[in-house]
Amino acid sequence: MIRVALTVNKVRHEAEVEPNLTLLEFLREALYLTGAKESCGVGECGTCLVLVDGHPVNSCLMLVADANGREVETIEGLANEGEPNTVQAAFIETGAIQCGYCTPAMVLAAEALLRANPNPDPSQVREALAGVLCRCGSYPKVLDAVRTAAAKGVHQ
Amino acid sequence: MSYVGERVARIDAAEKVTGGAVFGSDITLPGMLHGAVLRSPYPHARLVGVDTSRAEQAPGVRGVSAGRDFPFTFGASIKDQPFLAIDRVRFVGEPVAAVAADSELQAQEALDLITVHYEELPAVLDPWQALAQDAPLLHPDLHTYERGRHEIVPHSNINTVARYVHGDMEEGFRSADLLFEDEFFAHALSHAAMETHTATAQYRPADHGYTLWVSTDRPFQMRSELATALGLSSDQVRLIVGYVGGSFGGKNTLVAEAAAVALARKVPGRPVRVELSREEDLVASQIRMPAFIKLKTGVRRDGTLTARRAEFLWDGGAYASNAVGIAIRGPKAAFGPYRIPNVEYYSRMVYTNKEPTGSYRGYGTTQAAWACESQMDIIAHRLAIDPLHLRLRNGLQEGDPWINGQIMHGINARETIELVASEIEWGTIDRAPAPHLRRGKGIATMIKETATPTSSNVVIKVEQDGKVVVLCAAPEIGAGQATVLSQMAADAIGVPLAAVSLPATDTATAPYNGPVASSRTTYHVGNAIQLAGLEIRRRALALAGRVLGIDADLLDMNDGVITERGVGPRANLRDLLGTFGSEGYSLVAEARYSSADSPLLKADPGCEWVSTIFWMIASQAVEVEVDVETGTVRVLKVAAAADVGRAINPTACEQQIEGGVVMGVSNTLFEELTMEDGRIQNGSFTDYKLATIQDLPEIVPIIVESDHPEAPFGAKGIGEPAAAATAPAIANALFDAIGIRIKDLPITSVKVLDAIEAKRVDEAHGDDLALD
Repeated sequence: MIRVALTVNKVRHEAEVEPNLTLLEFLREALYLTGAKESCGVGECGTCLVLVDGHPVNSCLMLVADANGREVETIEGLANEGEPNTVQAAFIETGAIQCGYCTPAMVLAAEALLRANPNPDPSQVREALAGVLCRCGSYPKVLDAVRTAAAKGVHQ
Repeated sequence: MSYVGERVARIDAAEKVTGGAVFGSDITLPGMLHGAVLRSPYPHARLVGVDTSRAEQAPGVRGVSAGRDFPFTFGASIKDQPFLAIDRVRFVGEPVAAVAADSELQAQEALDLITVHYEELPAVLDPWQALAQDAPLLHPDLHTYERGRHEIVPHSNINTVARYVHGDMEEGFRSADLLFEDEFFAHALSHAAMETHTATAQYRPADHGYTLWVSTDRPFQMRSELATALGLSSDQVRLIVGYVGGSFGGKNTLVAEAAAVALARKVPGRPVRVELSREEDLVASQIRMPAFIKLKTGVRRDGTLTARRAEFLWDGGAYASNAVGIAIRGPKAAFGPYRIPNVEYYSRMVYTNKEPTGSYRGYGTTQAAWACESQMDIIAHRLAIDPLHLRLRNGLQEGDPWINGQIMHGINARETIELVASEIEWGTIDRAPAPHLRRGKGIATMIKETATPTSSNVVIKVEQDGKVVVLCAAPEIGAGQATVLSQMAADAIGVPLAAVSLPATDTATAPYNGPVASSRTTYHVGNAIQLAGLEIRRRALALAGRVLGIDADLLDMNDGVITERGVGPRANLRDLLGTFGSEGYSLVAEARYSSADSPLLKADPGCEWVSTIFWMIASQAVEVEVDVETGTVRVLKVAAAADVGRAINPTACEQQIEGGVVMGVSNTLFEELTMEDGRIQNGSFTDYKLATIQDLPEIVPIIVESDHPEAPFGAKGIGEPAAAATAPAIANALFDAIGIRIKDLPITSVKVLDAIEAKRVDEAHGDDLALD
């Protein structure tokens, strides 16, 4: 067992964990933050995407030990008192949601993009979201959502 | 305020964007154990012995199950599938034993301690080989299995035979100027829902029953399948279904559920969760049924179709699952949305030592439409008729008889074709930006019936604070049904949309519904909701009349506000029910809709079983760009139109159309389960490619409306048709671009390059071979 201390959605957590525990397992099984999903477990699908120090990371590929001392943001931390943030609101408004299994990852990937690049061109949006698979094929409306969110200008 | 027809936000959206939506694998129960499954490494083998004794002693292990411990079989149409293999294994990946342990890792590790003795048997990997007289039999006892009334061939691998004739085939072919005979192949595809198959089961020792938390699109059918298999009554099997992370027809039978139930029986009281890995989901769950399809079509020189015979050989895999109905009903789509006076089909499904198959967004329609629409293009080019005009010339219209003489109602086929053609600027050619690139356009259309007859029941209750709860077993699988059903409920009753909710399905409390399949939910559940909603409204107004001392006939309700004609608002529903205070009040109504007795189903004598309560028609036109040096086909634009009856929520319809196109492009160009010696080689998303957002073409979704006399608010279905026309439209565009006809899916760059090379060789020999 090893000791880790990390911040998740602005709350500091300290824990004794197995050295092989992934960040995804820690989030889902220790913190009950189930918004990040496991769909492939090996970094091929992106449904487990969370932000680590603001960068999108497949949490199934990161050991929680490697997140030691870092800031993790999950989908549960994005809304403010239950009020959807700009990206979440844009997903709702444009209908960029179907079964919803990849939605948390899509939203976080879009959030990370807009923070780094508030006015992305279409190819930059596609590139930033290409790591998240959506079998429902919500891609066209996801592009609308990112465009809508960017137009609000709050990430400027 | 009317909600029907409006682009209201999905009612599940807020939960889904905040991470609050609970899917199967998000549930953690007190005392829950984790299951893991040991799977067969052989496509076909006798199971001589399974020794689980060492695994039982492993750390953290609470229970181990093998087939002999739980010797039951299940199956929607044929009871042929064991929960865990009993005396033989029939595909690589078949569950042989399972372990329940405190952690997933402990369960996985204990699998290594199970010893299995197999005696390999010759495997049947090819459906044609399965037909051979001397073929090894997968199910020698097929004729003794409990099954439905459909035709089988005893002592063979043929588990389904279906035949249908309407008209005079001889005369139909005789009156043709040309006969076209073509063979097509549609390949196996994984549903690849982002949520893999997941189930949690708990055995209840007190009543020998089970409670399951499952991701399925058909709670009542799964309950029945499980209860029948185990000899239990309906109260002994309770299914709770939350959000389903995609189904596409795939979550229709006991996959993770089978192992979870077998394990639960070993650890009474403790819930056991079995969650398939992506590899298990790809290689050992259920896939689209591959089909070899021969079409023989008679055509007059002016393009009029005179007859078509379709022959299907379905590669069914190791167990019949819910694929029997595909072999019986799927071929109907091979006749397309066309007037063909003489039609016949002959369809057989065989067992093979491969992953089981089943419903896949269209229930055989994607395979049948692939053949139909590819051949229509072949016919058009041979006759030098514009493919668009050939389709319009033969296209079915309102009032035409269908393939069984049933009079078609509520269809608008023509408009779907015309609109996509216009959107893609049919007839014009875009110049490719480089010499090694060629562009082409293709068009395809499709028709699908819906499972008929089926029924839906709903119960609606209004709480004292005016909130409306709709109880119906229609899980939200992603297609937006919870939203459109809520919109219909709000309008039928006259309450705000925000007052309506559809709780997760619990078979212990929800009334019966057919499956969330066959694109039937909006229409069938919608009809029941409309009936029950109007009854709730009537009762609410009657109650208001009594309480207010007004004739109820003078009252109306809109958005929860009760008004008196000529007077104005008098009360709202919440205040009305609130007057009962602690005495309490629930306003309740129920309704049932069944398509069984509809006069619309009338057809020619003996052909009534083919009838459908509605038809879905969709057309697509695509533009592709082909790289003749690499063989790569890129889809640039897809115009996709669907005749939906009436759009309850246009955004939801667009989601289905766009999603269907994305899936169709992915299925056609990227996806293929490659197999060697009965073993699927590409059990990962690295090797089984799904379309990403980078592969997205420009998609123009087009909603076409029509008037169906029995549809709730006019709405038909849309989920399935969205995906079927994409493959043939791409193949037809490829032909338009470079004159190459691919008849077997998928359309890979290797296949295209080979065809280009073969064409070059033919042309070098001066052999003016048209490739069709």
